Amino acid sequence: MPLILHGLTPLHWAVGGAGIAIITLALLFVANRRLGISTGLEDVCSFVLPVPYFARDAVRSARQWRLPFIAGLVVGGFLSAVLGGGFTPTWDLGIFDQVIGFGPAGKLAWMFAGGLFIGFGTRLAGGCTSGHGIFGLSNFEFPSLISTLSFMAAGIVTTQVVYRVIF
Amino acid sequence: MALLYVFFGTIFGFILSRSGAADYNYIQSMFLFTSFQLYGIIGTAVALTAPGIWLIKRYGRTMRGRPISIELKPQHRGNVVGGALFGIGWSICGMCPGPIFVNIGEGKIYALAALAGALAGAGLFGAVYTRVQGLFRLPRLVVGTGDG
Repeated sequence: MPLILHGLTPLHWAVGGAGIAIITLALLFVANRRLGISTGLEDVCSFVLPVPYFARDAVRSARQWRLPFIAGLVVGGFLSAVLGGGFTPTWDLGIFDQVIGFGPAGKLAWMFAGGLFIGFGTRLAGGCTSGHGIFGLSNFEFPSLISTLSFMAAGIVTTQVVYRVIF
Repeated sequence: MALLYVFFGTIFGFILSRSGAADYNYIQSMFLFTSFQLYGIIGTAVALTAPGIWLIKRYGRTMRGRPISIELKPQHRGNVVGGALFGIGWSICGMCPGPIFVNIGEGKIYALAALAGALAGAGLFGAVYTRVQGLFRLPRLVVGTGDG
């Protein structure tokens, strides 16, 4: 199955997984940092929302590395597009377009709604696929196992309901 | 130092972009059990990161000789409930937090709405933290000046 991005052929899963492992380990060994991306959402919120939760030491002390890392994620996606056929802004959403078929306004609403679940859920769980799923599981942390099982199960149920029941 | 993190993030983002981890179709086919790709990626990442962390902890120091200190995540009811909410969002958007940023970089316009939603959701959680703290047995906030 080609990627939505320019119909490119994806890397072998073992290469993708090894690359993720190398960066995760490099962050720890070079800079003593625990991989975690969703906490970066808090770093952004902490600039505009004056509530105690965003004034935690854990948030303020990590801005200096999480925000540059996140900026890098955007750069990485941009480079991938440029090197893979050019940067061309698109609404293309793969099987969503074939099966659900909402236009741009519907997609924005759909994505914003999903984003709310991602933002609230990852903060309540204390992590996402990176902090719990990759780092936490690799470090044998029980809360990460619970969280990972929970978000995988909920993702499976939601997609099955959306693509096999509703649409 | 900031440039180093931009560099790491760039490689990480490129890998997510090119492996399918930031691709809507691959996320849905993981949850539909029609593709092994994402299970292979996550499984390989954990299988290699686990012994790596063990070795680094055994060595006990960073490359520059500073002691390794890994902040553990707390256990509470939010792990299950928050995980479930996040799983629903991951399925709806076809992106988890890292890939939201990667998709923005790739030029997927709708990913901006996912980011706006994620920031609003995280902001909402921060705003109601003290009210849901008891319900989910969340840890007490340690508020200070921090070193950032």
